[in-house]
Amino acid sequence: MYIKYQMFTGTHNNEKMELQELFHLYKRAGFGISLKKAKEKLSKKREDIIEDLFQSSKKATQLEVPVDEIKDLVKMSSGKISKETRDEIRKLSRQKLLDFNREWIYRMADTNEQLRERMTLFWANHFVVRGRNIVYLQSFNNTLRKHALGNFRDFVVAVAKEASMLNYLNNQQNRKKKPNENFARELMELFTLGEGQYSEKDIKEAARAFTGWRHNFKGDFAFREKIHDFESKAFMGKTGNFDGEDIVDIILEQPQCAYFISKKIYNYFVSHEANEDHIEEMADIFRVNYDISEVMRHVFMSKWFYDKSIMGTKIKSPTDVLVGMMRIVPYKFKKTKELVYVQKLLGQELLNPPNVAGWSGGKKWIDSNTMMVRLKLPSVLLSDGIISFDVKGEFEDSLTEFNKKKNVGRRLDVESDWNFFENEYKKSSHAELASVVLGANLQEEAKSFMDSLEKESKAEYCIQLMSIPEFQLC
Amino acid sequence: MKRRTFIKRSGLASSVLFVPNFLKAHNELWPVTLGNKKLVIIQLSGGNDGLNTIVPYTNDVYYKNRVSIAQKKQDLLLVDGEVGFHSALSNFKNLFDDGYVTIMNNVGYPNPVRSHFRSTDIWQTASASNEILKTGWVGRYLDGVAKDPVGAIEVDDMLSTLMKGEKINGIATKNARLLYNTTKEPYFAKVLENSKDKHLSEHNLGYLYKTAIDAKSSAGYIFEKTKVYKSSWEYPKNSFGKQLKTVSEFINSGLKTQIYYTSLGGFDTHANQVNSQKKLLGTYSDAIAAFVNDLKNAGTFKDTIILTFSEFGRRVKQNAANGTDHGAANAVFLMGENLKNPGMFNKPSSLLDLDSNGDIKYEIDFRQIYTSLLKKWLHTDTEAIISGNFEPLDLV
Repeated sequence: MYIKYQMFTGTHNNEKMELQELFHLYKRAGFGISLKKAKEKLSKKREDIIEDLFQSSKKATQLEVPVDEIKDLVKMSSGKISKETRDEIRKLSRQKLLDFNREWIYRMADTNEQLRERMTLFWANHFVVRGRNIVYLQSFNNTLRKHALGNFRDFVVAVAKEASMLNYLNNQQNRKKKPNENFARELMELFTLGEGQYSEKDIKEAARAFTGWRHNFKGDFAFREKIHDFESKAFMGKTGNFDGEDIVDIILEQPQCAYFISKKIYNYFVSHEANEDHIEEMADIFRVNYDISEVMRHVFMSKWFYDKSIMGTKIKSPTDVLVGMMRIVPYKFKKTKELVYVQKLLGQELLNPPNVAGWSGGKKWIDSNTMMVRLKLPSVLLSDGIISFDVKGEFEDSLTEFNKKKNVGRRLDVESDWNFFENEYKKSSHAELASVVLGANLQEEAKSFMDSLEKESKAEYCIQLMSIPEFQLC
Repeated sequence: MKRRTFIKRSGLASSVLFVPNFLKAHNELWPVTLGNKKLVIIQLSGGNDGLNTIVPYTNDVYYKNRVSIAQKKQDLLLVDGEVGFHSALSNFKNLFDDGYVTIMNNVGYPNPVRSHFRSTDIWQTASASNEILKTGWVGRYLDGVAKDPVGAIEVDDMLSTLMKGEKINGIATKNARLLYNTTKEPYFAKVLENSKDKHLSEHNLGYLYKTAIDAKSSAGYIFEKTKVYKSSWEYPKNSFGKQLKTVSEFINSGLKTQIYYTSLGGFDTHANQVNSQKKLLGTYSDAIAAFVNDLKNAGTFKDTIILTFSEFGRRVKQNAANGTDHGAANAVFLMGENLKNPGMFNKPSSLLDLDSNGDIKYEIDFRQIYTSLLKKWLHTDTEAIISGNFEPLDLV
């Protein structure tokens, strides 16, 4: 199945992989690999190592927090739900969302389905939703997981039918008599084609095709014929009695769509600086049948993916920082609230993106304040350090809550598993440890700094390595 | 160095710090054209109910829609034959009577969004309702005019979108000493020591180092410049009072920073709003009066303009929980010593011509206010800061 890649001169063949390439692959396609496992893999051929990534992500293990309590409350109140029940559901839901956030972080830190989880995180910032309903959001998140490496057309349709999406982009209010264009616009602008690739008329016609796409209270998709516009629509040069799926098909016929998605993948997995040749390469492959795995395989097989200008030059997202540390020294928050506190300080609370466009990433993660927090984080999380920053309140907070913030120096209640670390690295040299923490190429960048450190214990050395700016790159 | 020493003890390793030359000249970098005018921006976060703040006490529509939460005429601080202020605003009223306040009614934007997040984004990025901008308008001011992170300070520990530019971000701090001490901790010192070998380029690693060095340099500048001056003025003892006191100390100690941003939260009054809004308005009014008087006393009020906004107003019709839901256009306050139009800038809404949600329609676009302040107060072009052409108003 690799034969088709031979047409690109820049594709790797059967040679072996360098250790630093392997670290790079696992940091970008997953969340990191331990030195032991990396060494085991080195004896394999490059294409087999990459195939391993896909094989271990064959399954899509759902991520779930128990929501029976909420479902029972819904069931018990047959017909109209009282205000008290509604408030109770809302309160439960808010707590469960935090739990889900925490479980998601832990999942990324210890899953073997690394590529699938990485893709899920990527798509969550592509098909962006916000919401308060854990039942809907959990279902949405698992739909991302399910289709993360599948067919893009099926993915778009599935996402469009999710309650979270129908709510967030107001398709729930999209009726024949009063069309709502929000979903139709973002479908084209953010999810498939990009700005300026469609007309305002296209948006209006597409919105008509999605009328009646709704969900019921349980969150299941429910097409409502009564409010669907069955009349003819003229969309992107075609005319017919289109429904939502037809619109998705016509969008995918536009060559721009594969290009747009490839560019987004390139931006996230490879570099913020677009290389048009590489993106076109990807788009050519993606366009054939919109198979996400194929385009990802091409990226990981490409020589340019392992170029010096690419490896170790991407700014980690806050999630990457937290999860990356966990993969080296496993740690757990005893209080979920404190995890969220840290995420907020770093600027990325999972399930709570800033707007429909998601987090911009790259340099946008970094300002003086987040930089200070990032440098301080390893000692705060792994070594009982103190942090004295307050997070912004919620819009819903009361004055009393507003007044609570006092810059009190706090210790976070975190339990770190140094035994795991000692076990994993007792036989490694300091240099080897540095190559795991920083990646081999960054290790060179930080050489003079590392020379200045006293290498008393590996644990100390590890924390120090995590406290320098190089650790913020991958 | 022992692990515990490295991690825990601060200050020790920072005695000799290497600071690259180009960062030493903090003051020399400052564009000479910048004046000493200050702009303080305050967000009443959560969506203040403007109708119960600036109350149209002669309007029957108001009373009909606000059966259980309307402010009665006898409780109000009457301004004219049309409106009165909420009773908690007595200190604010004094400022108003002294001619230090301009109240603009019905400020908003076309196709209003009723989500806190999105509408805050719109106000902070100065975007249109269906346009997503990733930088804040103050951030763009930093990019194009101040060209220095210290050009704008948010009195908070996290930086809002408002303060983020394409190239330059402002600084967030509630406590200059704390910020300074953070940058003196060992890992920061290490970063600076290490940075001498780096070519601080535009690449990501250079950017990280540069940001860390900027943070250190800014924190140092703010701390050194402000550590001596302490305001002796009495402020209300709450977080908001403390924040404004901090702003006053920053301004009065001669910090070159031109724009300050801070917020007061808690205005999302969906239920039982009468008491909670009363407390909030009282907090706002008392603290802002202390702030203005403190500045006046120090002789800096004449160079300061204070802008107060909320991401949206609230629905005209109250809800069943004795509260109000998210609305649209709202009142905006401007304070200063030499306002062009102190008093009521325009008439409040008649409440007869509402939008399809039952919300007040906008009459003044908020970007007109930004444009006026940028052009006439900070004397800068708005082209690269505000997208679109907005007619400035006769405010300052």
